[in-house]
Amino acid sequence: MKDARWLAIYLPRLATDRLIRSGRAPDDDRALVIYAKQANAYQLTGVDARASALGLRLAMSLADARAMQPSLEAVEADPEEDNRALDNIAAWCERFTPVVVLDSPEGLFLDITGCAHLFGGEEHLRQHIVTRLRAQGFVSRAAIAPTPGAAWAFARYATQKPANLRDQLQASLAGTNEDVAAKLSPLPIEALRLDPAPAALLRRLGLKTIGQVMQAPRSSFTARAGAQAMLRLDQALGRAQEALSPRRPAPMVFALRRFVEPIFSAEAVLKVAEDLCADAAEKLELRGAGVLRAELILFGVDGRDRVIGVNVSRPLRVVKPLMRLFREKLNVIAENLDAEFGFEAARLDVVRLATIDESARTLAGIEETAASAEQISGIVDILSVRLGPKRVLRAQVHDEHAPERAAGWRSALGKAKKSAPVVKPARDGVQRRPVRLFAPAQPIEVMASVPDGPPIRFRWRRVTREVVRAEGPERIAGDWLKREIMRDYYRVEDKQGRRYWLYREGHYGEGDAAPRWFVHGLFA
Amino acid sequence: MSPRLAPAEPGFAGLAAIMAGQPLHEAGPAGPGAEAAALGFTLALAATWVGPAGLFWAGEDAAFGEEGGPYPVGLAQYGVALDQLIVVRAKKRDEALWAAEQALAARGAVVICALGAQGKPLDLKVSRRLLLFAERSGSRCLLLQPDNGPSAAWTRWRIAPAESESEDPRDLGLPAFAAELTRNRAGPSGARFTLDWNAHERRFAERFQKKCEAVFRPEARQA
Repeated sequence: MKDARWLAIYLPRLATDRLIRSGRAPDDDRALVIYAKQANAYQLTGVDARASALGLRLAMSLADARAMQPSLEAVEADPEEDNRALDNIAAWCERFTPVVVLDSPEGLFLDITGCAHLFGGEEHLRQHIVTRLRAQGFVSRAAIAPTPGAAWAFARYATQKPANLRDQLQASLAGTNEDVAAKLSPLPIEALRLDPAPAALLRRLGLKTIGQVMQAPRSSFTARAGAQAMLRLDQALGRAQEALSPRRPAPMVFALRRFVEPIFSAEAVLKVAEDLCADAAEKLELRGAGVLRAELILFGVDGRDRVIGVNVSRPLRVVKPLMRLFREKLNVIAENLDAEFGFEAARLDVVRLATIDESARTLAGIEETAASAEQISGIVDILSVRLGPKRVLRAQVHDEHAPERAAGWRSALGKAKKSAPVVKPARDGVQRRPVRLFAPAQPIEVMASVPDGPPIRFRWRRVTREVVRAEGPERIAGDWLKREIMRDYYRVEDKQGRRYWLYREGHYGEGDAAPRWFVHGLFA
Repeated sequence: MSPRLAPAEPGFAGLAAIMAGQPLHEAGPAGPGAEAAALGFTLALAATWVGPAGLFWAGEDAAFGEEGGPYPVGLAQYGVALDQLIVVRAKKRDEALWAAEQALAARGAVVICALGAQGKPLDLKVSRRLLLFAERSGSRCLLLQPDNGPSAAWTRWRIAPAESESEDPRDLGLPAFAAELTRNRAGPSGARFTLDWNAHERRFAERFQKKCEAVFRPEARQA
């Protein structure tokens, strides 16, 4: 995208900040360092502010560091925990944009295209993030640029001393590619996100700044110094695309609100949801699409977020029925909303959408059917929100022989399989299958039966039943792959007129054991 | 109040035609072991009434579990169009009633509300609410429940299975019911009918006296 805006966050002390924040750091004046085994020696991979002030640096060996500062506290690196902390920060950042990319081990990218105005402009947003991260115990630097690469470089290598705030401000406001190039050129080549080997190679070639790389003849440079530097440069300047995968799949349509004052009440949440639905509906209209699943994300001041998702059975972009679903869902979870500290932002993500077929509605004749179908799906949505999608069901018939697999129930929210066989009443109106099926079939005790025929008398649920009519057998072969035994089914009627679907397992007289009988269903 | 119409046709057919115009009816088993028959009678009425606005079958788990789960193949053979059917399995009675009320808001819908034997007898308020929801949107509700308490329903039926009409012990024939009209807001109650359900024609056929005698023949033969 041409007008893309990216914000890069750099968390230089993530590992130590994380420990200090969770109270696992020394509570006296001692310096804290993180070490990891690298090339058979323990090296520092993280230093806190005190350690840094004492002259301890990254990549120093732990032994040297101890020699300089015998009292320091050293903790072994835990990259997994670091990554979890980074992911938590990324989740928190989703209140600014749905597109947050993890840049392990200590960075994040936020696609803030079209989002900054909600926070009073880019510089305000940038400062807001840095301030809020600091309040949560994380030192960070952030910069904004048209490409992730340039933002990354500015966040790490642009001078950020208070005296240079204006420069930084200009850098973060860098609009055109020329500006970006000018800002990039004095930065060291490491700002190009290079692997150590190509970086070292460039230095040996005497190229120390990005400007020098820019001026180097392209083809011979690529041949000698590897393709990575050129690719990174092109990406930073926006000449090459860079595919980044967001922490969560980016919604195709979203709407975002930030509140000056935190909101607490369910009514306020609903009001915001309505605004967001209206925003999203507008965007959906441009695409000719409707919502299938939408998630309302409420960002708490306490850093936690609540997700309220609703599913829709057919694409919808009218605010009122959407709001009915959210209202219903909020009713269900109102007590769990737990808005103790209030919410500071909310976002509506359209996670799944589908094209609305406008032509189907306008055709005369099927208009009424379409209206009915719409009405049904509206009710299905409401019922599913309150009772859960697994409790609002449509029938599904399968092309299978075994009765228990020949049909089932699926959520009415989903789509039907196109190839499902259609079952119609028999011409004679006779029932071959029961309206209720036991799963599993219930064993019965057959007291007398015609050999290789139906029972004459059987006992089920402690009641003896006399069979007066019986039809069958209908032989249903089991799936031999599943070692299922063949069944002979009978439809029988007892003296009271009650009708049962019974079966005998296996052939009569096969083996010594008496055949086992079951009732599998009841006819109406 | 709808006018008390005299049936245009005598017997069950005339009664059924009047029932179709009223919003709330009730059916229940005539005794233990008749639950499947009561359901069959209810489903059959629903199948004759259902239109494009669909058929909702809202029941509490207790009403589904005990007698087996609804089986789509059997339902389709029974005359219930599966593409029009939405089944709602509610955990509790309140949820089943709430679901039924929601579904009744759909113009022209047919809603079966199936309640189990457990729990308190139904409050009159419950059936009044269902009636109100159905009246408001021109939908129809069939309340399937074993209770005999006060109710706002227009008719109430006690259903037992009836023996097959067929004289051949190897032929079960059509589903058959012994239906008793125990309550009728639009006319006299107490009538008894023996009905055969023809799923293909989606129609009840009433059995008259002569044939009813034949029903008892197998029993006589056994004695």
